[in-house]
Amino acid sequence: MAGATLTWDSIEIGDRIPSLVKRPTPMQLFMFSASTWNRHLIHYNTEFAISDGLKNVAVHRALIGGFLAQMLSEWVGDAGTIVNVSWSVRGSAAINRPLTLRGEVIEKREEDGRRLLSCEIRAENHENETIAPGTALVRIG
Amino acid sequence: MELPPETRAAIGTVTEHVYEVSRKDIRRYAQAIGDDDPRFRVGDIAPPLFCHSLAFEDVPVDELRADGLPTELDLPLPTERAVGGGSSFEVGAPVRPGDTITVRKEIEDIYAKSGRSGDLIFVVLTTTYTNQHGEQVARERGEFVNR
Repeated sequence: MAGATLTWDSIEIGDRIPSLVKRPTPMQLFMFSASTWNRHLIHYNTEFAISDGLKNVAVHRALIGGFLAQMLSEWVGDAGTIVNVSWSVRGSAAINRPLTLRGEVIEKREEDGRRLLSCEIRAENHENETIAPGTALVRIG
Repeated sequence: MELPPETRAAIGTVTEHVYEVSRKDIRRYAQAIGDDDPRFRVGDIAPPLFCHSLAFEDVPVDELRADGLPTELDLPLPTERAVGGGSSFEVGAPVRPGDTITVRKEIEDIYAKSGRSGDLIFVVLTTTYTNQHGEQVARERGEFVNR
């Protein structure tokens, strides 16, 4: 795992988090609905989703968060822990199209002996539009 | 926009349920995300946002709304549909198989804002997850926008 080499001294402001590409399929959305016991039809019934004004079944807010957290945990590995993930869904992620998770380090600080990294994170659709901007806080060590 | 009295009355509503976490729950959540980190694949430890899989209450199908909207978001709002939302998820102590997690949900606030295309209603739902040792394993402040 790339995260194994991440150290406090090697991290610089502006460092990019290795991006992660997902391609949410109807099956993945169904599995996420089942795993989270989310029975809302907009996530797995196309007809209902369209009647609700959407183009297709909706990628869950929590799934987008889970993708962002996966990007962070693959980057951090055993070098630290994720403290906070915040994101806001502003647009729809398209089904069967690439959804790219990105991020970069914007602040590095020590607080009460804790080594913290603030990051800007986002999910971008296949047209390179940010559909979910956010922030993350990671503790190193 | 003034909130109707029944909408205002929903502020402060608290619900609580308890779930026991199994290795199967962790593995299935990781598979649903598509995260094949060996620790999550085996299920020894849960991915950071795993508590999302404990968020919704077990409710029999005949007690759900026709659209299956989670009961905790089935509020008397003067709006037609949900249009988005945000979340701030604090990750606490690690979650492992066998943990017993108490899930406490509170409708922290409901407020109206005028947007470009009409009034928007914001629902703030705070969910706190606590394990059998009294440690907070996660806390999420979700904001749901309705129009």
